[in-house]
Amino acid sequence: MQRITRREFVKRTAVAGAVLTSFPAILEACTTSSSGTNKPSKLVIAAVQGAEDGPLKKVAPMYQSQTGITMEIVEFPYDQLFEKLVTTFQANGSSYDLCMMDDPWMPKFGTMGALQPLDSNFGFTRDSDIPSIVYDVGTWPPPHGPVPPSEQGKSAHLYGITIVGNVEMFMYRKDLATTAPSSWDDVLANAQKFNKSNFYGYVIRGKATNPASSDSLPILWSFGGDIFDSNWKVTLDSTESIDAITFLTQTLKRYAEPGAGNTDAADRDRLIAIGQAFQSTTWPAEVTGVVESQGVSQVIGKMAYIPIPKGPSGKGIGMMGNWLLGIPKGSSNGSAAADFIKWLIQSDNMKTYVQNGGIPTRTSLLNDSTLGQTNPYFPALAQSLAAPPNWRPRTDQWNAVETVYGTAVNQAVSGLKSPKDALTAAATQIRSTMKQAGYPS
Amino acid sequence: MTDPRAQAASSAVRARRRRFSRQERLAYLILLPALGTVFVIVTIPFVLVLIQSFSADDGTLIGLRNYSRALGNPLLYEAIRATGVYTLIVLPIEFLLGLTFALLVHRTIKRTGIRAAIYVLAILPLVVPPVAIGVVARLIYAPSYGVLNVILERIGVIHQEIDFLGDPTLAMLSVASVDVWQWTPFVYLVLFSGLQTVPRESVEAAQIDGVTWWTQFIYIDLFYLRPLFLLLLFFRLADVLRVFDHVFILTGGGPGTATQLLSLYMYRVEFKFFDLGQAAALAVVVLVSLSLLYTLITRFLPLERE
Repeated sequence: MQRITRREFVKRTAVAGAVLTSFPAILEACTTSSSGTNKPSKLVIAAVQGAEDGPLKKVAPMYQSQTGITMEIVEFPYDQLFEKLVTTFQANGSSYDLCMMDDPWMPKFGTMGALQPLDSNFGFTRDSDIPSIVYDVGTWPPPHGPVPPSEQGKSAHLYGITIVGNVEMFMYRKDLATTAPSSWDDVLANAQKFNKSNFYGYVIRGKATNPASSDSLPILWSFGGDIFDSNWKVTLDSTESIDAITFLTQTLKRYAEPGAGNTDAADRDRLIAIGQAFQSTTWPAEVTGVVESQGVSQVIGKMAYIPIPKGPSGKGIGMMGNWLLGIPKGSSNGSAAADFIKWLIQSDNMKTYVQNGGIPTRTSLLNDSTLGQTNPYFPALAQSLAAPPNWRPRTDQWNAVETVYGTAVNQAVSGLKSPKDALTAAATQIRSTMKQAGYPS
Repeated sequence: MTDPRAQAASSAVRARRRRFSRQERLAYLILLPALGTVFVIVTIPFVLVLIQSFSADDGTLIGLRNYSRALGNPLLYEAIRATGVYTLIVLPIEFLLGLTFALLVHRTIKRTGIRAAIYVLAILPLVVPPVAIGVVARLIYAPSYGVLNVILERIGVIHQEIDFLGDPTLAMLSVASVDVWQWTPFVYLVLFSGLQTVPRESVEAAQIDGVTWWTQFIYIDLFYLRPLFLLLLFFRLADVLRVFDHVFILTGGGPGTATQLLSLYMYRVEFKFFDLGQAAALAVVVLVSLSLLYTLITRFLPLERE
C-alpha cells in the first residue's frame, strides 16, 4: 500500500470535502429552472405588521395545507417595510417572493422596475366583480391621471393585486343624528349642533405629515382643490385648495378636540370609542380594530359609515389606501407566487379571508348582507370604491410631497400659520422638489 | 557574489525593522485587529457615503449638486435651529441637575446602602428603551387623556387643557423634558464617580484652613471634575444629535417643524424621500461640522486638567 505524507492527506481530504459539500448545491443548480415555474417548497411574504396582514396570516396556512408550500410571512412595521423593500429591490434581492405594498408606494416601485408584471407574465385578467379602480391602482404607469415624465410612453402592466380594499370613509353617531350628512356643510352644521363640553363636534387627525395629509386630502378634493393638476403643475395654492384647508383648520376646528395638531388615528378612535366625539373621517381598520370592537368601544352599533360627503365641487371623493400584493423581480418563484395571489382573490377564498377580518375588493362580498352584519361599513366601502375614489398623486416623489403638504396642514391646524401662508409656502417647496426631480412644475 | 542593489535593499529593510523595537512591533500587531475593524465599519462606509454624496441615484457623478440641494433646502436650517434650541435647553439643565445631585449625595449621604439604592435608581432611566419612554411621555403630555393635564386640572392649577404638544414652545419643552429625565442620571453617575476620586488629603487640608463649601467646590471639586465635564460634553452632544425615538413618538417633528431635529430630518430625507444623494451630502456636512466643533471644544475650552 502506498504511503502518503501528512500534507498530502490533508490536501486530499480538503478536496474531497469541498466536492461532497458542494454536491447538493450543484445538483440544485442543475435542477432549478430560472423561469421560476417549478413548485418551490416555500414562499416568503414581506408583510406589514398590524390589522392589514392579520387576515393574511390566518388564511396562509390553508393554502399551505392545500398545496404543501410553506407560507412564511415576515412582518415589518409600516415604515420599515417600505425601507426594507426599497433596499431589497435596489439590490435585486431574492429574499421575498411576495410583498405587501401600500398603494402610494406603487410609483416608487414602478419607476424602479422592481416588480414582475402579473398580466403578461402570469396571465392575470380583470374580474368584473372587482371594481376597475382596484386594478388601476396596481397598474404602472397609471392608466389615468398625470404620468411621471420618466414613465411616459411605457406600456402599462398590472404589478399589484389589492388584498386590503381600504378607502377612507366618513363616520358619525347615528344614534344622535337621524340623517346622514350629505355635504361638508351638513358636517359643519352637525359639528356645531352636537358640540358641547367634553363632547367634540368633529375630530381632526392633524398630526404632522402623513396623518394630516390623509385626513385633509378627501376634503381638499371634495372642494375642487388638489396638489397637482393633470400636467403636474402645483395647484396647492389655488383658491379651491386654500378654501378647503381653511374650512378644515379654521371653520371645522372650532368644534374639534383640543390639541388637534397632535391627534393621530389612535387618538381619534379613542375619542369616538369612549363616546366623546360625534364624527370624523375613518379607515376600515379603525372601524374593525377599535370603533366596532367588542370590549373596547362604547359606541358599538351607534355609528354609521358613509362615503366622504360632497364638497362645493359637487363631489365627495374618498381616498384609496389599498394594500397590494406584488411579486419582486428578484424572486425566482414568480409562478408559484402568482398562483397564491390567484388563489387568494378567488371568491370563496376571499370570503374566508373576510370572515377572518379581511377587507374585500369583490363587490359581491361587500354587498353580502351576512358579511355586512359583522362589518357595518361594507356598503359604504362598496359605494366608495364604485364612486370611484382618488389615489394619491402617482409620483415617486410622493413621500417628499406628502411630508411638505402634511407639515403645512399641521401648521394651519396648530395655528402656526394661516392656511393661505402654509399652503403657499408648501406649494413653493413642492414646485422646487418636483422641478429637481425632472417634473414640469 | 551578491548583487550590491539587493544588499542595499536588505539593509534598508533591517534599518526599518530596527526603527521599531520588538515590543513596538508587537503593539502594532495587537492593534491591527482593532484598527482593521475600525477601517471596515467606519472608514469604508464613510468613503461610500462620500462617493454617494457626489453621485446621482443611478451612480453617475454629478459634482456638488447634492450638496447644493441639501444646503439650499430651508428645512435643513429649521432642523439645525430646532436642534440648537433643544441642545441649549437639555445640556445646561442636565449638567446643572446632575452636578447638584452628585454634590448632594457626595456630601450628605454616607451610608453605602443608600448610595447603592440611588445608584440603581439612576441606572433605571438609562436602560429603558427610548421607544418605551416616548410612549410613556405621550401618555403624560397627550391632548385630552394626558395625565399631566388631568392632575393639573384636579388640583385646580388649570381650568382648561394645556396643549403641550401642539404649541411650538411647549412641544419643544415637552420633548426636552424627556431627555432631561433620561440623561440627568447619567451626568449624575459620571460626576459622582468623579467626586470619589478627589483626594481626601486635599479636602481635609482645605477644611482645616476653614474654606467655605463654595470655595471647596470651586477650587477642589471642580478642578478634578473638569476632564469629566469634557467627556460628558462629548457624549451628550453626540447623543443629542442622535435623538430620535421619543421625538418621533411624541410630536413627529411637529407642530409644523418646531421639533423636527436634525436626526429626524435626515431620517426623512434618507428613508421617507429615499433621496440617497442628498442624505449622503447631509451626512458628510454634519460629520465635518461635528469634527470641527469637537476640535474647537478640545482646543479652546480650558477643561483639561493641568
